[in-house]
Amino acid sequence: MKRIEIDPITRLEGHGKITIFLNDDGEVENAYLQIPELRGFEKFVEGLPVEEIPRVVPRICGV
Amino acid sequence: MKLKIAIYWGAACGGCDVAILDTHEKLLDIADAADIYLWPIAMDFKHSDVREMEDGFLDAAFFSGAVRNSENEEIARLLRDKSRLMIALGSCAHLGGIPSLANFFTKDEMLKRVYIDSESTVNEEGVLPTEAWSNNGESLELPRFYNTVKALDQVVDVDYYIPGCPPVPLQIFSAFTLIADGMLPPKGSVIGAGDKALCEQCPRKKEEKKITGIKRIQEAVPDDERCLLEQGFLCLGPVTRSGCGARCINSGVPCRGCYGPVDNVPDEGIKMLSALASVIDSKDESEIDRIIETIPAPLKTFQRFSMAASMLRRKKI
Repeated sequence: MKRIEIDPITRLEGHGKITIFLNDDGEVENAYLQIPELRGFEKFVEGLPVEEIPRVVPRICGV
Repeated sequence: MKLKIAIYWGAACGGCDVAILDTHEKLLDIADAADIYLWPIAMDFKHSDVREMEDGFLDAAFFSGAVRNSENEEIARLLRDKSRLMIALGSCAHLGGIPSLANFFTKDEMLKRVYIDSESTVNEEGVLPTEAWSNNGESLELPRFYNTVKALDQVVDVDYYIPGCPPVPLQIFSAFTLIADGMLPPKGSVIGAGDKALCEQCPRKKEEKKITGIKRIQEAVPDDERCLLEQGFLCLGPVTRSGCGARCINSGVPCRGCYGPVDNVPDEGIKMLSALASVIDSKDESEIDRIIETIPAPLKTFQRFSMAASMLRRKKI
């Protein structure tokens, strides 16, 4: 089985990695997209004053 | 000879990359002076291209984003080896930035909230990301998710810091010019910023700073002319480095400190506590307590962009 790795995927905002497995005939057996990055805004905005949220969440994506 | 540079991101939002693009036509001057060998947001280079470089091949690596996981750290170390200069670009690389607000929680709390408790996620089996997975001879890996988010200089030696969330585009350009012209200040300096506190650049009128309580923005309309802190709106201008052009203050919202502390101040949050203590208009202990109580989420406000680099660094676990 052959493995092709595209790491990182580029020209987008964020992190991503694609791994493709080829079978013995050279055909795609499986392909996986992984997102190897997590910041966790869902959690760390907890406890922030509500009026501060609009100043924090724009940093989810700055593009 | 043209400079060889790399631009990379760890735990970031891409805002620093966009700030580079926002230098507009000056980007052409950067392209005249430097060849870019890595810039994931804009160009198609792979991690393997960096691994294949000889040590010291690059003149400068601009690293934005915090160090959140083992991949961020691995690439930071790789770029450090490959580059003559390592530059922390933006608040996250400089001080931990917004992602380091996660240092109020543990890794397990973060993962549970995101992958299990999230209102928009269906995950009945409670699957969480794992570092290694294999099935029928196929194997996949993910970086290790850290308990503690770090600033760049907590994992590699950093030569210079360009602060801001995001840095002002023209400040990035002026920092780049220092590198291109070989006019850099001593190692460890903050470049592309001022050396005074933001208060000194603030266009608002300052009279006497005496406050009897902290106002939240939904509780009162700020006067457009007067110092926000004097009006009772918590503003980190007194302890934050200038260089941003007072963008937030000019838009009527108080500073949250993204440019970090001025020189020789290790922790802007602690400095702000001290600044605040000097403007509280009371000598009475219980009245002082009452005023302090009006500050919502003080730590997450004073260390909004700097939790990783603060003296506390994280919540105790």
